[in-house]
Amino acid sequence: MGAASGTRSLDVEHISKRYASAGGPVTAVDDMSFDVGPGEFVSIIGPSGCGKSTLFNIIGGLIGDYEGRVAVAGATISGTHPAIGMVFQEESTFPWRTVVDNVAFPLELSGVPKRERLERAESFVSLVGLHGFGHRYPAELSGGMRQRVAIARTLASEPRILLMDEPFAALDEQTRLLLGDKVLQIQQQLRQTTLLITHNLTEAVQLSDRVLVMTYRPGRLKRVVSIELPRPRDSEVVSSAAFGRYVAEIWQDLREEATRGIQEDESRVLQRGRGK
Amino acid sequence: MRRRSGTSSWRAVALLRIAIIATVALAWEMLAASGLLFRDVVPSLGVIGSAVVRLLADEGFYRNLLITVGEIAAALAIGGLAGVGVGILLGANRFLSRAYESLIYYLGPTPKIIFFPVLIMWFGVGSGSKIAMGVLSCFFPIAISAAGGMRQIDPTLIRVGQSFRASIGQMIVKVYLPAMREPIVNGVRLGLGVAIIGTLLAETKLSNRGIGYLIIQAYSTFDMPRMYALLIVLFTLAIGANAMLGGLARTSSAAPVPAATGMPVQ
Amino acid sequence: MSEVRQTNRRATLPARLGPRTVGLATAIGVIVLIEVLIRIGIINRFIVPLPSQIVGALPRIIAEENVLRRFAQTMQELLWASLLLALTGIALGALLYRFRLLRAACETWVAALAAAPIVLMYPLFLVIFGRSATTIIMIGFAAGLAPVILKTLEGLTRTRQVLIDVGRSFRLTPAQEFRKILLPAALPSIFVGLRLGLIFAMINIVGVEFLINFGGLGQLINELAERYDLPATYGAICFVILASIVFFDITGRLERWLRPNE
Repeated sequence: MGAASGTRSLDVEHISKRYASAGGPVTAVDDMSFDVGPGEFVSIIGPSGCGKSTLFNIIGGLIGDYEGRVAVAGATISGTHPAIGMVFQEESTFPWRTVVDNVAFPLELSGVPKRERLERAESFVSLVGLHGFGHRYPAELSGGMRQRVAIARTLASEPRILLMDEPFAALDEQTRLLLGDKVLQIQQQLRQTTLLITHNLTEAVQLSDRVLVMTYRPGRLKRVVSIELPRPRDSEVVSSAAFGRYVAEIWQDLREEATRGIQEDESRVLQRGRGK
Repeated sequence: MRRRSGTSSWRAVALLRIAIIATVALAWEMLAASGLLFRDVVPSLGVIGSAVVRLLADEGFYRNLLITVGEIAAALAIGGLAGVGVGILLGANRFLSRAYESLIYYLGPTPKIIFFPVLIMWFGVGSGSKIAMGVLSCFFPIAISAAGGMRQIDPTLIRVGQSFRASIGQMIVKVYLPAMREPIVNGVRLGLGVAIIGTLLAETKLSNRGIGYLIIQAYSTFDMPRMYALLIVLFTLAIGANAMLGGLARTSSAAPVPAATGMPVQ
Repeated sequence: MSEVRQTNRRATLPARLGPRTVGLATAIGVIVLIEVLIRIGIINRFIVPLPSQIVGALPRIIAEENVLRRFAQTMQELLWASLLLALTGIALGALLYRFRLLRAACETWVAALAAAPIVLMYPLFLVIFGRSATTIIMIGFAAGLAPVILKTLEGLTRTRQVLIDVGRSFRLTPAQEFRKILLPAALPSIFVGLRLGLIFAMINIVGVEFLINFGGLGQLINELAERYDLPATYGAICFVILASIVFFDITGRLERWLRPNE
């Protein structure tokens, strides 16, 4: 665990989550511990079904009933907390609000007067590169643009920790790369402490200071890889040999887990069939 | 998964239902006893109960019930056949559909009872005009459902029939109708509902037979307990018939079928 | 060779004219046919008046029978019924959403209500409310209630989970969650329900006006029928049917206009 908890923005200590299922008790997350420092960008990567979304929901406070402790700046939290801002994987913009009204949502909740909150919201809209789209409705935007609105909305609440669950999963590769660049830019500018859940290797290495590799179910921390690449992580860095080495290193671990995941899935389907 | 879902036990549900019914019954009895409303408008539950028993023991009731059921059955048969026939035609041919289907779609949600004077002129004051009223009511939802049902048939199935060189009649009976079972049953369900309404309303307006007639008779003699009894029995039968058809629809597909909240047609 | 060309031309004419035109032409053709059949005596003109007479009766009806006033009367009854529908139906739908046990207990009842021939209770309502506009309004309200409740409930329960999660991540109170997320998300479905309710109400209002010989347009038809004024009766029926079609169409457009962001 290392440094005194006061200096770490987010402390996740011995988180375990078990639940009952038709086939017996299942452990989704098994004794995960890690921390995120101020201004750090940490990614958690793991194969599908490894429990990373469960972890996301636990840290964000949407799932209770777990073992372990989540702490922000040393103070234990339980349930949703203003210090943690969440960006979800699915479409989460409010279709009935304009872009700027979507982004102003958290400001509205804190009672910021109308003119001020619209101004502040507009600044976040510009920050994510959607300047001029404030009065459009989400239905008029592309998927990538909508995710940017969702990110802007969460940023507008100025959370201590930005927690994102595969926000680019539904997007195509090019959009994903461009958005990743944008997010990195913003993160550096705001010095926003960020925890990103992803299954995309390149994304993890490109964006993070550290990458935490999770095992397949039950999800455990397999490895921590420190990414010592220069910032900004422009195309030169991304195409460098060092970058490739990090990707390969992480892929080693990930591939094991992914293979195990596929095998377990197959055996489960086989068992179910035999049971009939 | 993220939200903790509490499943209500069936026991709690049953208890709540009993509680609601008991509260309503209590309120009713208090209203009946208080004399707030003109006497007899709210008869006590006991009086209503005995009226129901008397009704169900009355031979005349069954005579009239038979007449009404006969009218509804005839209306459903005629309207159903015509509706399915027209629906198949419209569903099969895109040109015909674009030419005539909106006519049926827009004529559906209109008050049909206002046609009754005309139907009396054409079919007389007896059961004929009541059946006609029922046919007019149920034709539209059935035709619309059938047309939609035709269009959602997997075109591959049609090609299979054609590859075996089935005749039109065979295609209809062996391919179209079976493939359309669910939308047709749903259409008939809706159609039954509006046929009941159309036929009975016609009976209340001008008739000397049938359940509708009995209801108006109870009204004009101010026999409120009997009117309540008639309405209770009528509603039970109508809801029961609808539920049965719903069960029929369910056996043709896995998902449960919602109640008739489709596009209204009367 | 010219024969072939002729058949081809004949075959494509309807297709070229467009199905809509064909539909319209058929309707007009049927009307003309009826006119002819009556004139030559095949159809009894004391049962079916000449279509030309029907059309001729229309201006007479409008002038003499205060069609506008009656129309306003029907509309007023409809307005009251819609107000009741909107307030009660949406509130009850929200109530059923909020209390899951209540919903589990009552939802099938409401669905049964939707299938029940409510309008047949009109003699009962006559006794309770008298031969008045109140009876008509209450029947309209009762007939249209079920779809409003059910569609409101459906809209609320179908709110996407992720939107609710966004609300939870911003720690909304239940009241805030309802006002800022659930209600707006359910609004399209609520509008569909209101339209259904309104249409059910309209149909039953006109119907009951006819049956109890009180009110606006429905009463007009009843009066004309009792007077044996055939052309006027047919004319009035056509007029009311046309009005209800327009009503159906306008509410449809309104509903689509109110949900542009879907």
